[in-house]
Amino acid sequence: MRMFSAAVQIAALVFTVSPSLGADADHIGIVKTMAGQVVVDRGGRAVDAQLNFRLYQGDVIRTGSNGKAGLILEDDTVISMGNGSTLALRDFAFKPNDRKLSFVARVYQGTVSFISGQIAKLAPSLVHIETPNATVGVRGTHLLVRVD
Amino acid sequence: MSKVAGSILLMLLMTMACSCTKSTLVALAPDPDGKVGSITVTNEAGSVAIDTPYQATTISGEKKRPAPPENLGREALHEIFSEALSIQPASPLHFLLYFDKDTELTPDSARLLADILAAVRERGSVDISVVGHTDTRGSKEYNTELSVCRANAVKDELVRQGVASQSIRTTSHGKENPLIPTADNVDEVRNRRVEVHIR
Repeated sequence: MRMFSAAVQIAALVFTVSPSLGADADHIGIVKTMAGQVVVDRGGRAVDAQLNFRLYQGDVIRTGSNGKAGLILEDDTVISMGNGSTLALRDFAFKPNDRKLSFVARVYQGTVSFISGQIAKLAPSLVHIETPNATVGVRGTHLLVRVD
Repeated sequence: MSKVAGSILLMLLMTMACSCTKSTLVALAPDPDGKVGSITVTNEAGSVAIDTPYQATTISGEKKRPAPPENLGREALHEIFSEALSIQPASPLHFLLYFDKDTELTPDSARLLADILAAVRERGSVDISVVGHTDTRGSKEYNTELSVCRANAVKDELVRQGVASQSIRTTSHGKENPLIPTADNVDEVRNRRVEVHIR
């Protein structure tokens, strides 16, 4: 027990003196696989993605006519996008300890596959995949969406 | 061009833009582990539920009711989604580590570290989560602190064995994400764990 409380004190000290947990601490996923052109729109800027590119809430991922991409989010959601596809990661929260859970993504165009992750297991009603014509509610599953 | 003609043209263009409404196809496939979940496709005109694999619904407009589910079959769906599925990353790997007391790993879990390092190398992973969990015995605060300490201990060991520190993030789910759901204040050894997720 003493070891434990000492460790807590050390952890507290480290957290106080290190403010560096900023931007990098809250990425919600990465581009794990890709081919061809993959662009991420973030805050009005378009950036070419590369392998292991970090994704944040609000990012819009676009694959070119020769592009495709595979994404893994922090809660184990696995997304893959065919060519000519556009996907927005509109809302993502995976903080079970604070009871904050949600995942909302929107497919604007193209072909997208979703394999749901832990958020869909812990709070299925808070997972929504939006499309221009309808919204999809998901219960722990593999979902395929095509928007022409 | 007069203002009136201009606004008529604009209205015409807008109508045209609206008339080429996008068609949407939504289909259900089995999970990688073979299980089949369910989906509900909803818009203001109605709702369709699908719980049979390879069934799909088409939605031709936001004010058009989703079509009754139709079985497209595995072949046809894999054809439509071949590009997307061809780039699908392998699902993240999970390792479960257990503790004897405080932040000391059980001998079995200590031996698992080698497998974790091999998996990180094999996947070229630079995105690793080390997530502390507890059982429901004790207060939220106590469990949060304990799971943070355990996650940090595992991270430190991985870094000591050569994993880049910036590739690892530690989080704590305290008692809110149990492996084995229990009532509050229940001792459950399988819930006192650190999960290592390798993406």
